[in-house]
Amino acid sequence: MAETKGTIFRIRRFSIHDGPGIRTSVFLKGCPLRCSWCHSPEGIDAQISVWHTPGLCISCKRCLTACHNEALKMSSGSVLIDRAKCTLTGGCTEVCPAGAMQFTGRTITAQEVFREVRKDIAFYGTSGGGLTLTGGEPLFQPEFSLEILELCRKAGIHTAIETSLFADLDVAEKISSAAELIIADLKIFDPQEHETYTGQSNEKITGNFLFLAETGKALTVRIPLIPGITDTAENINAISAFAGSAGRNIPVELIEYNPLAANNYRRLGIPFQPDRVFNKDNL
Amino acid sequence: MTNISGKAYPSERILSLRRKTVSAERYLSLEQAGIITRVYRQKSDLPVILKRAYSLSASLDEISITIDPQELIAGNRTVGIRAGVVFPEAGISWLEREIETLPSRPQDPFHVRPEDISFFRDHIAPFWRGKTLEDDIYGAAGEEISAIETVVKINQKDHAQGHICPDVKSWLIHGPSALAANALSLSGSSSGEKKLFFEAAGMVLAAACRFMERYSGLAARLAGDEPDEKLRGNLMQVSANCHNLSTGPPSTFREAVQSVWFLFVILQMESNASSFSPGRMDQYLIDFYRKDVAAGILDNEIALELMDALFIKFNQIVYMRNGKSARYFAGFPTGFNITVGGTGKNGEDASNELSYLILKAQEDIRLPQPNLTARLHRNSPDEFTDECSRIIGLGTGMPQVVNDESIIPAMRHAGIHDEDSFDYSLVGCVELSTSGNYLGWSDAAMFNLVKALELALNNGKCMLTGKQAGPNTGYLSGFPDYRSLEEAYRKQISHFVSKMTEVCTVVEKCHREHLPSPFLSSVVNHCLRNGTDVTAGGAKYNYSGIQAIQAANIADSLAVLKKLVFGDGLVGKAELLGALRNNFRDNEPLRQMCINRVPKYGNDVEWVDRIGAEWIEYFSEQLKRHRNFRGGPYQMGLYTVSAHVPMGQYVGATPDGRLACTPLADGGLSPMYGRDKEGPTSVLASVSRIPSRLAGNGSLLNMKFLPSMFSNETDRSKFTSFLKTLVKMPVHHIQFNVVSAEELKRAKADPEAYRGLTIRVAGYTAYFTELDSDLQDEIIQRTTQGENG
Ligand code: SF4
Ligand code: SF4
Repeated sequence: MAETKGTIFRIRRFSIHDGPGIRTSVFLKGCPLRCSWCHSPEGIDAQISVWHTPGLCISCKRCLTACHNEALKMSSGSVLIDRAKCTLTGGCTEVCPAGAMQFTGRTITAQEVFREVRKDIAFYGTSGGGLTLTGGEPLFQPEFSLEILELCRKAGIHTAIETSLFADLDVAEKISSAAELIIADLKIFDPQEHETYTGQSNEKITGNFLFLAETGKALTVRIPLIPGITDTAENINAISAFAGSAGRNIPVELIEYNPLAANNYRRLGIPFQPDRVFNKDNL
Repeated sequence: MTNISGKAYPSERILSLRRKTVSAERYLSLEQAGIITRVYRQKSDLPVILKRAYSLSASLDEISITIDPQELIAGNRTVGIRAGVVFPEAGISWLEREIETLPSRPQDPFHVRPEDISFFRDHIAPFWRGKTLEDDIYGAAGEEISAIETVVKINQKDHAQGHICPDVKSWLIHGPSALAANALSLSGSSSGEKKLFFEAAGMVLAAACRFMERYSGLAARLAGDEPDEKLRGNLMQVSANCHNLSTGPPSTFREAVQSVWFLFVILQMESNASSFSPGRMDQYLIDFYRKDVAAGILDNEIALELMDALFIKFNQIVYMRNGKSARYFAGFPTGFNITVGGTGKNGEDASNELSYLILKAQEDIRLPQPNLTARLHRNSPDEFTDECSRIIGLGTGMPQVVNDESIIPAMRHAGIHDEDSFDYSLVGCVELSTSGNYLGWSDAAMFNLVKALELALNNGKCMLTGKQAGPNTGYLSGFPDYRSLEEAYRKQISHFVSKMTEVCTVVEKCHREHLPSPFLSSVVNHCLRNGTDVTAGGAKYNYSGIQAIQAANIADSLAVLKKLVFGDGLVGKAELLGALRNNFRDNEPLRQMCINRVPKYGNDVEWVDRIGAEWIEYFSEQLKRHRNFRGGPYQMGLYTVSAHVPMGQYVGATPDGRLACTPLADGGLSPMYGRDKEGPTSVLASVSRIPSRLAGNGSLLNMKFLPSMFSNETDRSKFTSFLKTLVKMPVHHIQFNVVSAEELKRAKADPEAYRGLTIRVAGYTAYFTELDSDLQDEIIQRTTQGENG
């Protein structure tokens, strides 16, 4: 089998809120949507870049010396990255003693991911847990996702994907059939609003959802509660009704907004303006 | 299983008793010290074992007693609750130094009445000076003890060693009166030392009966004066129970519970030591429970209230330690360890109705004692495991969980017969013991492997003082390769192990000479059978336990040396050695490299974990080369209680990036705090690579989970699954803290508001607000596994 490679930004073991039982969540990098509130901004870009964690930095300036592109400069105890100059050589990450300068993700083979996932197999057995592919967007790296799912399935590991379902139908169909559970993040029901806040209309999403619902596949709906955007009674009711319209008992879960997101924006050097995010009048 | 519906628990009576116990001020009590001193003066020419027997008998006959009319279970060794007691024959030097500062010391202070200071200084101290256990130990091995003290901390130098799970079962079957008669008849038919032993045992067992009768009399007198009808009825019941116990074995559940308590009070009155443990209480009380239930005189409500009452009692005796030792064993780990669940003789599940009631009592009482342990195994019912999760989720850190599937093979490996290994229980914190026939001497010494590594890097010289502490084995800068470093380390370890065992032999010999314990011996098999005191090797099993400290720092430090220094060559040998000697001063980047450039134990990185495993194994092999004074083997423990803080104070900066004098990793098998980043399953994977099967003396792993793990059924069931997976791994023990760092910070700032807040410190639970401030800080710092994500 060809070594299918993909890009991830994290593997989290003992993940207890991404499906049934005790799980390992694999976060795939890259997402076709641009949700204004995204709480893992490091997962949006399919490209790996470098980021800086001020809390870890000891201001030793080794990274500055190591960078031949003069992309870095020190500013009040933390390092600023000039992304126009950075060519991602990784020189800074190699010399940083504190782990403060790091790549935002890594390239890894499906086999390697599988080997990580397999480590907690005993816990999956007792808890009914397994693997969850999440992101980013797992449907955005279809070959890679598929291979991980298949390796796990063969090893008897329960598989789930958490997805926005924004993909072409054949992709959604293929990957979904390889996973035992689909956790569908449905954000905004109104197609117009959806486009406003995520950059894309939700037509593909709803279409894929209805298709999957019909196949009888195990499905769970998740609505992220973004103040003033997704958490209105109107939106929640509309999504619930939509899930119900499939004529099956599809559970709907409401997910609190992650308060630590701001920290990740800082590390990426992307401006994070909760006012802008949360108040659509300012858009 | 246990269905107690419709009533508020705990009862008003229990709440009131609990309140009184918690709010009692702790005082120094010299009453028994006075009695002991008088008896030793009067009987100066008798053999020690008889002096000890006469002292205990006189104490049982004379010590002031009281009963709270609300108490269902009576008895204490002092009138005051949680009084600090001194046994002068074991050692007084610390009190001579510290009696005035007892009230003001930072850890575990006691009030002292002025008249007690003069009584101690004028009457007690002058008689004992030069004659105590401690004096003899230092006389015989003082120099040797200080020669090894940087690496080895020898324990039990000025007090009895405690740490025994007595044969409660036969105590309940026979009662002290029958045991006394038996001992006296044996003394008639024997001679020499054995005769003395039987005579002493008979004497103290008879005195135990009189002690119970005194309680019976007091209860009857109090009943006479009691206007409240209910309280009067209770006192009369207490009186009847105590009377019955003084003449025969218990016949009801309540009498059996009272009898268990008397046993532990009297053990404390003989030894004044930590960690006498009740063991498998659900097993030996179940017949009493079922018989009374069948007879219609007991229901779960009454049984639970009695358990609650007993739980409170376990908090009324504390073991007062010297100031330094109080830092090692902070917060009164008196170590009454109760074990529930586990397997029976044939591997079948042995949990029963009482297992659940005892867990429920923990929910009701939530005080530091008893130390509660739940045994899990492959066939533990889901209901039992889930009830353990629920109680753990209350956040008292109890029950701690132990794994039969890992421990029973470890005990067999250590030489325990099958008929005893299934019946193991925990003693004190996490020490392993069989039931009623085992002297494990489980805290003989703590061996600081991290300090030994420091010496191996620095030609045997202490990096903090520059003093030569170990053999000259070369400097890191001179080692051509990693193997030379390993060679040096092996030499340091075996040097200190040999020296240590020599001292341990002296200590045990002095215990035999000063602290024979006929009462204890009468409840440890086979002392009464072979006429031999437990201190002389009368128990069926005779071990000595040495704690190896600390796997995490060893693995992490050697991994850095192996990779950064001898592997990649990113760091020079002399550079690292210099930085360690300088405590990484002006070299923070190097320290950060040590921390971040090499993976750490606790993250499921096999090669790092294997380094820890290798050295733990090597240490255990070194121990096996020696025998103890009683002819038994040494065995390894992997736990520190709270000693990782003071132990760390002796250790300079280490290659894992730890700064000089800061705490080592906690617990025993826990990763270094803050260095495990992959969550609890990774921690277990790393821990399971350390060969726990060699830790016949017990091992300890701390894990902290957030309260949210237990806040709803779904999450809690995941925790239950976590426990169910544990029994498939070679990990002996886990204790779970459920608390947020924020909450602890608040508790530190406002102790008044958090007086009742308990926290697990390594092997036991203590009042958080009673802990030393740096220990508090250290607990706050520890990794919070549930926050992974
Ligand atoms: S990745 Fe290379 S180019 Fe970019 S900042 Fe680091 S050293 Fe400079
Ligand atoms: S090398 Fe690392 S620690 Fe040093 S200044 Fe750069 S980011 Fe900070």
